[in-house]
Amino acid sequence: MTAVEVENLSMSYKAPVRKGGLRAALGSLVKREYKTVQALDEVSFAIARGEVAGFIGPNGAGKTTTMKILSGILHPTGGAVQVLDNVPWQRRAVFLKRIAFVRGSQPVGGSQELTVMDSLEYQRLLYDVPRPDFRRTLAELEALLDLEPLLERQLRALSLGERMRVGLAMALIYRPEVLFLDEPTIGLDVSAASQIREFVSEYVEQTGATVLLTSHYMADVASLCPRLILIDRGRVEYDGPLAELSARLSPYKLIRISTQGDPTAFGEVVEKADGQWVLRVPRDEVAGTTGRLLQALDVVDLAIEEPPLEKVIDQAYRGGLR
Amino acid sequence: MRTAVLLGFRLRQEVLEWSGAWWFLLTLVVQAVVAPLIGLFVWSAVYPDDPSIARYYVAVILVTLMTESFEQHTFSERIYDGTLSHELLRPQPVVIGVIGMNLAIRAWLTLLGAPVVVLTGFALRAGFDWSAVLRSTPYIVVAAVLVFLWTFLLALTAFWTDRVHAVVGFGSQLIFLFGGTAAPIGLLPDTWRRVAEVLPFYGMNGLPAEIAAGRRSGGGLGYQLIWVVVLVAVVTVVWRIGVRRYTAVGS
Repeated sequence: MTAVEVENLSMSYKAPVRKGGLRAALGSLVKREYKTVQALDEVSFAIARGEVAGFIGPNGAGKTTTMKILSGILHPTGGAVQVLDNVPWQRRAVFLKRIAFVRGSQPVGGSQELTVMDSLEYQRLLYDVPRPDFRRTLAELEALLDLEPLLERQLRALSLGERMRVGLAMALIYRPEVLFLDEPTIGLDVSAASQIREFVSEYVEQTGATVLLTSHYMADVASLCPRLILIDRGRVEYDGPLAELSARLSPYKLIRISTQGDPTAFGEVVEKADGQWVLRVPRDEVAGTTGRLLQALDVVDLAIEEPPLEKVIDQAYRGGLR
Repeated sequence: MRTAVLLGFRLRQEVLEWSGAWWFLLTLVVQAVVAPLIGLFVWSAVYPDDPSIARYYVAVILVTLMTESFEQHTFSERIYDGTLSHELLRPQPVVIGVIGMNLAIRAWLTLLGAPVVVLTGFALRAGFDWSAVLRSTPYIVVAAVLVFLWTFLLALTAFWTDRVHAVVGFGSQLIFLFGGTAAPIGLLPDTWRRVAEVLPFYGMNGLPAEIAAGRRSGGGLGYQLIWVVVLVAVVTVVWRIGVRRYTAVGS
């Protein structure tokens, strides 16, 4: 069963342009010139029900535009999209009650003077949640998101991390089947970000919800998303497991060793400090190199690691995948 | 039924939200009553022996407070800062939120402005015929709908321009000139009077005030309702085109 189906999705904008100077400014009053910006170019992918997919790419790649189209805020210039068998931009009430779009930059909308409980109560009315279901879900969310101390506070007085927790609670109180999370941990400290990640993971496990998540933080992606969709300049550049992307982009592994000897002959040294060395070795030579290292040197400790995800993704953004 | 429940809840929310900004609402009350007070002073000086002038302007103050609309500040800002997207994704018509906030602000303005109306009425010994005041009620209700539709229509230009305040300011000037605040419509030169009686602005302000003041016994509800129908149709079309544009280019 497919929850999200995207086929040849395209989105272009006409942005007004003009050269600098007074003459060009006056000229633009008579004749405006436009440049077409291709935000999305023939994007296709499908997400099965219950799947969690990470949607990553550099700034301006088209991630948020795609999320906005999938949730119904934007309508595209080309292609077809079905989310839970609905065309999102028709924004039918029955569809809107089954999805949630949470943006880390604007986690909580609506009246900021209201208390968290009043806002949740409004969501109950808005989404026709029966009272027993509301109470049960609220109890679960209270436990998972540590909401209890926030319920009587006004939205405007919440910190960024608290706003995100409340934003998630407001989005999930009606148990959406598809969850679009646009940078849910942006601006959060390490523990708050970790708490949000744990919560999303538990929510998915409990409800079987489908999640599409964008994030610039690789910790979010690595811990939540078995599948990655990498988008750049409006095109899908990679769609598959995270480990495969890492192997494809980085034909090397890292051997971290503690030794008083000199291992420089066994691989490219990428780090060196107080008897700790990190060597970069081609993937197919890792086993052989490790064996030779253990024979030749007095090794105190040894570990074989994948290159840091940030480095892999950075390489993908800078150099592309092709 | 569901719409009524949602509107009621939203209204309660907004009344609570605006209760924290009573000092700001007081400045709105002052802004709302200044223009009718100027009209009152000018025309009372011109017609010192006509007690209906004072009555009329006291009624204009009340009608103005009960029908003020600020969608250029409330709704248009949602377009500018992108939070309209939150509203679009809610399973309810966006206008419910707009109407809820409009009614809440009007309720507060009427409450906070009531002392001004009462004091002015007593000071000028503007004795009202309460049956006329009662007769004016449906006219005031329709006037409130008209002012909302007019202001909301102009506020929708925020989909195309970031100068919405200038657009709505111009619309407010039209209400001031042709609605009966600058001068009672009956005192305008013939041509201008005929123009003013056809335009919707008289129905937004002067007509209900004239009925409340006893300067006119009734009639004109049909004229008001025709403009309601026209403005609803135009607002609906502009809203659809505007949302289409918003959803084409994003926030």
